[in-house]
Amino acid sequence: MLNRRLLYALPIRLRSLFRRRVAEAELDEEIQFHFERQMETQIAKGLSPEEARYAAMRTLGNTSLVKEQVRDAWGWNTLSNLLQDIRYAIRVLVKSPGFATTAILTLALGIAASTAIFTIIDSVVLKPLSYPESGNLVALWERVAFLGPDATGPNPRHVDVWRKGATAFRDIAIVRQSTIGLARDIDHPNVVGMVVASPNLFDVLQVSPLHGRTFLPEDGVPGRGNVVVLTYKLWETVFQSDPNVVGRSVRLSDVPFQVVGVLPQSFHFPNRNALPTVRSKQAMTDVPEPSIFLPLAVDLSESSWTEYGNWIALGRLKAGITPEQAQSELQIVQEQVLEQIPTSERDTANNAIVPVVQPMQEAIVGQSRRILWFLMAAVGGLMLIACLNLANTQLARTYRRQREASVRGALGAPKWRLVWQALLENLLIAAVAGALGVVLAGIGLTLFRRIAPVDLPRLSEVRLSTEVLLFAGGLMLISAAIVSVLPVLYSLRSDLQASLQQGNSRALGSRQRRGVQAWLIGFQVFGCTALLLITGLFSTNLLQLLNRDMGFRTERVAFAQVNLTSQSYGQATNRVGFIDAVLENVREIPGVQAAGFISAAPLEGEAWINGVQRVDKREQKGVLMNLRWASPGYFEALSHELIAGRFLEERDRATRGVLITEGGARSLWRDETAVGGKIEVNGIQYTVVGVVGDARTASLKAPPPNMVYIHYGEQPPYQLFFMVRGNQPSEALLFDLRQAIWKHAPSAPIARAKTLDSQVRESLGMERIQTVVISAFGIAALLIAMLGIYGILNYSVATRKQEIGLRKAVGATPQCIYRLTMGEVGMPIVAGLMAGLIAMVAAGRVMSGMLDGVEGLDPLIVTTVLTVFVSCAIMAGFLPAWQAASLDPVDALRSE
Amino acid sequence: MSKPSDLVQGTLNVLILRILELEPLHGWALAQRLKQVSNDVLQVSEGSLYPALHRLEQEGWITSEWRSTENNRRAKFYSLTRPGQRQLAKETAEWSRLSSAISQVLGLREA
Repeated sequence: MLNRRLLYALPIRLRSLFRRRVAEAELDEEIQFHFERQMETQIAKGLSPEEARYAAMRTLGNTSLVKEQVRDAWGWNTLSNLLQDIRYAIRVLVKSPGFATTAILTLALGIAASTAIFTIIDSVVLKPLSYPESGNLVALWERVAFLGPDATGPNPRHVDVWRKGATAFRDIAIVRQSTIGLARDIDHPNVVGMVVASPNLFDVLQVSPLHGRTFLPEDGVPGRGNVVVLTYKLWETVFQSDPNVVGRSVRLSDVPFQVVGVLPQSFHFPNRNALPTVRSKQAMTDVPEPSIFLPLAVDLSESSWTEYGNWIALGRLKAGITPEQAQSELQIVQEQVLEQIPTSERDTANNAIVPVVQPMQEAIVGQSRRILWFLMAAVGGLMLIACLNLANTQLARTYRRQREASVRGALGAPKWRLVWQALLENLLIAAVAGALGVVLAGIGLTLFRRIAPVDLPRLSEVRLSTEVLLFAGGLMLISAAIVSVLPVLYSLRSDLQASLQQGNSRALGSRQRRGVQAWLIGFQVFGCTALLLITGLFSTNLLQLLNRDMGFRTERVAFAQVNLTSQSYGQATNRVGFIDAVLENVREIPGVQAAGFISAAPLEGEAWINGVQRVDKREQKGVLMNLRWASPGYFEALSHELIAGRFLEERDRATRGVLITEGGARSLWRDETAVGGKIEVNGIQYTVVGVVGDARTASLKAPPPNMVYIHYGEQPPYQLFFMVRGNQPSEALLFDLRQAIWKHAPSAPIARAKTLDSQVRESLGMERIQTVVISAFGIAALLIAMLGIYGILNYSVATRKQEIGLRKAVGATPQCIYRLTMGEVGMPIVAGLMAGLIAMVAAGRVMSGMLDGVEGLDPLIVTTVLTVFVSCAIMAGFLPAWQAASLDPVDALRSE
Repeated sequence: MSKPSDLVQGTLNVLILRILELEPLHGWALAQRLKQVSNDVLQVSEGSLYPALHRLEQEGWITSEWRSTENNRRAKFYSLTRPGQRQLAKETAEWSRLSSAISQVLGLREA
């Protein structure tokens, strides 16, 4: 029945709401008709037109009033009242531009910061990967006991066993990433990110090509793999989006490959930083985006069963299977793997090699998740401080406007409407601030993308989205609510009559009300202290990391990376020849003090880890050490410290003389002398000719690794790093370094040439950006708290003018007045400081897990923060207090 | 600008619904009919008729359409809807219950 009524009622209601002009016109016509009919009747009764007119008017009454009552019936009153309230709120805000601007800016900054951080979280952590049904995609690892507690990239032969034996997966692909020089025709080679993948990779990811095809199973047959698939971007830049690209050829290093397909624009493969093969804490570096895909065309049955950390395995689970289920199945299948491992290399311990299955998204986002949520918490705290500050100001404004409210109440304004108006004002502020905040967040994100560290995964996917706008809208409403709570509560409780009777502003600063305000300040101080302490913690961490004794010197050192390919440099002698020739050219660069070669770039983590044994004490357990192939001159170029013996020399090429680091020497020889001792690595014996000082060459964030430096002459690597120290700024060396390499081989792909200083800087990129962001939050919190303290004291002095005047008149000294005014917020500030300190001592332990350079809060951070905060607080409080102290009692008393 | 009391307004609504039950009418005719049937006892201000009509329309009890009058003028005619009929029946029943109760009370005192 109700429905039926609505059938009639709804159209008419909608019409009167939205087609107002039509409704108004019809109403006019209706009344006019009535009027004319009335007139006609009167004329028919014999009245003159003039008299009839007046008579009609009398019977109908005031037509405007009638119309107004009809409009009332239409239900417009609520709407027009709302408009009226909004206009009123705007007028009030425009009349106090100082307050409005501060309020809007404060909130806008808070909303902008929160929205920006949320956008990053939304894009990086919350959004699923851009593959179909990406929830089923998993990354597979192996936790190998002798390599340490972190899971590493699995052995490809183990993965092959899993693939055949496990039923939980639809398929598993293996992937290896590297860089390669790519050229069309006769161009100089460009270094691009290369992915070598088993041909089923795109089936696992469920990606179909834009042009041509992806890989076929036969692409994986050894000797047939000379085909490549390009990403959209590479196709766009190298082939100018040529639609007939399929069938064209590209040169990778010196080998021609045939393009068989182009991937869609939306396809994005995580780079080596986002999906590292070794998941230890290590510095990342700028790697090119993966943009060219090659099929893996190698017979795996010839590869090792015990090599780890070079491959990534990506699997697609069958529908309904959880990663946990898949992992327990793999643990059973792993038995078959363990049987295959040669007895000599078998680790007999329990859980020696454990398969690990992890959702792919988690694998990619990994470490960043924690720090991002932490930033979110920090920015939430900042937002809360901003809201409390605004709430405090609004509370003061409510007190001040209490008389106005009382008068309106006395004239019949319902209480809810007064409350609604207070709410509306804050909503209005929040709405403007929200819009401004979103714009600021957009600008901020653009800036962020420019300065962001290289190792934030999915950074290219960060953008404002509907969710983000909803978030900003929600934040806006919440902040308006927080700001409104206290003033609304106050006006609901306020007693009309009492406030009308009070009549003047003397009672405004009553003790209780000021108490509420002072404690609001206390809360802000608490949040601010906490944020400042975190700022201190992060800054100290960064400084500690930067100023750590690295064990080597970076100034005036540059290096270049060259990747040789097995196609052109498959013979060891060719590679040795390349290194020898380039080193010779590099040493001829004018002003070079030392130049050398090394097989891995500094600060890019540990690699080539192997067990090292003493030949004379075989019963002693071996020590895990990083193997590096190096040349004479490398140690001089990096100013490594020589502890014993000598650095590498040319003669070590033939005699298998090696250097080891101090820590490694100590664990093998204890207090005995290591120089002259013999070690065995991978079945080859070497003689220790020198011991070098421990150096943080793998990462500034980790303890110095154990190293064995072997002369490159016997087993030259494919990735080459030429280091050079000059007597000029290292930037100037870069050009000469490239020329020295190209002089020997013009087609050599130089992956990068950079200074060691910038390598150090980049390796701490994440720490730097964290510190910058957190410091910005801390400084903003400090500013807001200062504003808050200043605001409340200023307001308090203004309302207590007469009281202060009176006190001065009866003999209060300026000191008394200072104590009186500033003392008002003293307790809350001290309490807030203490609470913040206690909270952070507790939280500091949790946070030091995220920081490698500091253990937790140290006294220096605490005293610095306390000093900064207290001096800022005094500065903020001094101005109002000084005003109060210098008040002329006569003026003050007269000021009523 | 004071609104008619609930009793008066409720009465007016019922009267309008009852008159419209007989035939669709425009506002002016409705006013005349109202005066006529109540023998001028019920002095309804013509001005308060329109807000009442519009309120009833918003409730969905009556509906309106523009039609030509007998002398070819455009006028807004109101007519009763099905929900309006039900509402009228309900209010009539309510009214007779109330009035009989009141006359009973009043009769008691007379006796």
